[in-house]
Amino acid sequence: MTALGALAELKDQFETEAVGIGDRAGWEALRLTWAGRKQGKLKSLMERMKDIPPPERPAYGQAVNDLKVHVEARLEEIDAALSAAEVAAKRSAAAIDVTLPGRRPALGSLHPVTLVAREIEQIFAELGYSVAEGPEVEDDYHNFEALNFPDNHPAREMQDTFFVAVGGQPRLLRTHTSPVQVRTMLSRQPPIRVICPGRVFRNDNDLRHSPMFHQVEGLAIAEGLSLADMKGTLDAFLKRLFSPETKIRLRPSFFPFTEPSAEVDVTCQNCRGGGCAVCSGTGWMEILGCGMVDPRVLRNCGIDPARYSGYAFGLGLDRVAMNRYGIPNIRTLFDNDERLLRQVRV
Amino acid sequence: MKFSARWIAEYVDVPGLDGTLQGAAEVAARLTAAGLAEEGIEQVGNDAILEIDVTTNRPDAMNHYGIARELSALYDLPLRPIPGASAVSGAPASEAIRLEIEDFEDCPSYSAWVIRGVKVGPSPPWLADRLKSIGARTINNVVDVTNYVLWETGQPLHAFDLGKIRGGLVRVRRARAGESLQTLDKELRELSPENLLITDAEGPIAIGGVMGGFDSEVTENTVDILLECAHFRAPVVRRSAKKLGMHTDASHRYERGADPGACAVAGERAAALIAELAGGQLAPGKVELQRLLPGWPPQVEIRYSALCRFGGADIPSAEGERILRALGFGVEIDGDSWRVEAPSWRYYDFQNAYPADVYEEVLRIWGFDRIPYTLPAVGGADAPMSAGHRLRRLTQDYLSASGLSEAITYAFHDRERDEAYPTLRPGKAALALANPLSDRYAVLRRSLLPNLVEAGRYNQRRGAPVVRLFELGHIFWAEQHDQNAETETVALLVGGRLGTPWERSAELDFFDLKGILEGLFEAIGVTPTFRRATVPLLVPGMAAEIVLDGQVIGFAGQLDEKEPGYAFQVAEIGLGLLPVVTGSLLVKAPSAYPGIEVDTTLQHALSVPWRAIEATIREAAVPDLARFALKDRYRGAGVPEGAVNTTISFLYNSETTSLTMEEVNERHQALAARLASEFGFSTGNSTGALG
Repeated sequence: MTALGALAELKDQFETEAVGIGDRAGWEALRLTWAGRKQGKLKSLMERMKDIPPPERPAYGQAVNDLKVHVEARLEEIDAALSAAEVAAKRSAAAIDVTLPGRRPALGSLHPVTLVAREIEQIFAELGYSVAEGPEVEDDYHNFEALNFPDNHPAREMQDTFFVAVGGQPRLLRTHTSPVQVRTMLSRQPPIRVICPGRVFRNDNDLRHSPMFHQVEGLAIAEGLSLADMKGTLDAFLKRLFSPETKIRLRPSFFPFTEPSAEVDVTCQNCRGGGCAVCSGTGWMEILGCGMVDPRVLRNCGIDPARYSGYAFGLGLDRVAMNRYGIPNIRTLFDNDERLLRQVRV
Repeated sequence: MKFSARWIAEYVDVPGLDGTLQGAAEVAARLTAAGLAEEGIEQVGNDAILEIDVTTNRPDAMNHYGIARELSALYDLPLRPIPGASAVSGAPASEAIRLEIEDFEDCPSYSAWVIRGVKVGPSPPWLADRLKSIGARTINNVVDVTNYVLWETGQPLHAFDLGKIRGGLVRVRRARAGESLQTLDKELRELSPENLLITDAEGPIAIGGVMGGFDSEVTENTVDILLECAHFRAPVVRRSAKKLGMHTDASHRYERGADPGACAVAGERAAALIAELAGGQLAPGKVELQRLLPGWPPQVEIRYSALCRFGGADIPSAEGERILRALGFGVEIDGDSWRVEAPSWRYYDFQNAYPADVYEEVLRIWGFDRIPYTLPAVGGADAPMSAGHRLRRLTQDYLSASGLSEAITYAFHDRERDEAYPTLRPGKAALALANPLSDRYAVLRRSLLPNLVEAGRYNQRRGAPVVRLFELGHIFWAEQHDQNAETETVALLVGGRLGTPWERSAELDFFDLKGILEGLFEAIGVTPTFRRATVPLLVPGMAAEIVLDGQVIGFAGQLDEKEPGYAFQVAEIGLGLLPVVTGSLLVKAPSAYPGIEVDTTLQHALSVPWRAIEATIREAAVPDLARFALKDRYRGAGVPEGAVNTTISFLYNSETTSLTMEEVNERHQALAARLASEFGFSTGNSTGALG
């Protein structure tokens, strides 16, 4: 066999050995056998050059070199394939079960009443109103007298009052947030646009009543404010609070501090006005009380009723929160069961 | 209050008042829209009975004629007058009785009729049925007539047995101390000068405006009747009834203000009905005394254009005038100036009247649903958010983002827990409720914790593995000189194991609570310090006071309660005690050069507080020490009893250059040496590494 013929056979032999390589050790053995610097077959082929007759040497040298390039390229190729397989094996071992539950940040929650109060504050902030606050222990003047509740008048019996003993001074737990309106009017001149959210208290405790609950009241006083302005404001507010399709209706009523006074109904949010058990078939839900501020109240608060007029309104936050979140009983609101509180969303 | 459709129809021809439910519903809707809210309609026989909520300011509408008057205004239909007296005979009434009134302030008018020879017996069916249909009792024909006229005209009346009136005298006067009267309900009433009385020559026979006396009541044996029809002033009857704890159909009306002008019409109507139904003879004339009431007649001047501006609606002046006249008001028109005179049945409502009182009458009959929707022409915003409101929002947002849920509990609790729990106002007395719901809610809270802990227990008892709650609210106390005060606080409660091992669970302890508080303080912009303190109901050694500018603004610690289950870490902070922070919002640009982190582990006595180590590091003011923090604490194998290994990490970072390890070591070794000498412990392995 010629030297060149032998080289062609060697190439076939290398290919046969290379095909079976499946791991790093096999690759290393193949490299040492063929491309090893000391005893590699390529090295010994080069050393044999001196035994080749001179005229054949260039062809022999070219053929050995071709074999060397081929062997090195194949070794590199196999190395790359092995590395890729190793990375793939590592990745496969490290694969995660993406269906396992994630670890959530420990978020808390705001109380349903707070969320409703904030929403209402936001709506009125956009209408230019600010928030006013005041004490929860009040005196008779700010809670009743300034608001045109005459002494001993049956209108006072509408609100069961908690009284507080402070030395000889009679004090009470505010029965509404209206005293904040009084304090605002006493401390400022019109134009005034405020809302007064807060806790209020009535001596009443049964399935439908809680001795403590929450109100937000609003007050606007300026020159030339009209009943139409009150209607427009409440309509805008209630459409935002409920839905753009919500309709309102005013029924004249009586409160000592407004004249005229009205109860405001909105389209029942359960049946959208069609009539259901929630609204006793009327299609309406009573939502707030309102009216034009009684001139006696303005006068009591140092505001000239001949120059200024305005309106006031108030609603219970607890009822709105119960309606919104489907909480059937007001006292459930104050159980503070975290299983319920943590479900509440804006 | 119940009203019979057919009864109202006797005075006004409104189409729906035919006794049908459907007709009544249409009428009721109009009444509701005018301020007389319908609350139910039922069929009783051939009549429809309307339940109407008449508000306290409208005693004039607490009777059938008053409702008929409203309907005549609403439907623009004529109102028929109430029938008057029948034929008279016999001796004049003035021969039977003499009348005296002690004070016309209490009783501005008193009239009495005499009907002789009556036969007291059951009422005829039409009368009995009508009273029953509106829920009134029937007693006998004479008493039933007085009730019938009350429900028809709103005027209370009382029938005496004339034969029982001693000395031919009726006096109206205040009770004297020690007097008493057995009333119709057979109760013996002790009287006082708050009570207005009707007496005869010998003593009380009725409590004016409230209830008649038992001895002079009309019985089957009664032959002659004295029929009283009087006006008692509202405040007098209110005080009298309240003093006696009594409430009757008569007092209900007098208290709210009866019609001072109704006596003649109602009295004659009743006298005629008694004569007709009980077969008696009405004596000619009546016994009567009266004086004008103060401020009579009530008048107010309005500008009609102002009424329209107030309503925001163009109501034709002819319609405004029609409405007022239909409701019984007198109107004198001089261009835009109207002088409006209120009818007697609105006397109390229109005392010292304002124009708005008149506007209301026109607007409610015109119809609120016809008023347009407008928005007020007031520009701009009212006022910025107050500091207190901003602080509350920030606190709520921070705490809810930190994993706590907001609770709301009652503002009152029991005295025992109020005294046991810590408060930010120690030494101040709690405010007691004069009329608490029960002993559980006896005092206003001086701390939010008792009720918040109860909420925590509520969750714990229902199997919650972890509880995280906060609440914002007022605490209350008594100040000296009969003053009360309140301030807003926030209370926190955490406890239990948060998360599963998968979620890298943690047992919540004091430092979880403290971390939340520290973050809150940072958000607010204050840097109070925690110092060990003895706090009631907190575990000794696990309790701290929180101090800002020398003032205690809060406390925190582990609750020492003998309840089963995991411990609660609690805190309360006086939000109202914090200053308003208006610091700069500017941020500092981070260094452009890399920093180097160095850890040092110090072994020191357990008694050395972190606060002292911290203070020394700060005091050393090492150049380029950007920050330092506690990395870990270790007490275990290799650490002697009474000592602890504290590992602190230090970050060195220059704003002007890249520090080398050598430069850092130079700075740090002096600090480590100082810490070692100051606290008398041996330095552990001080190691450095590139950060």
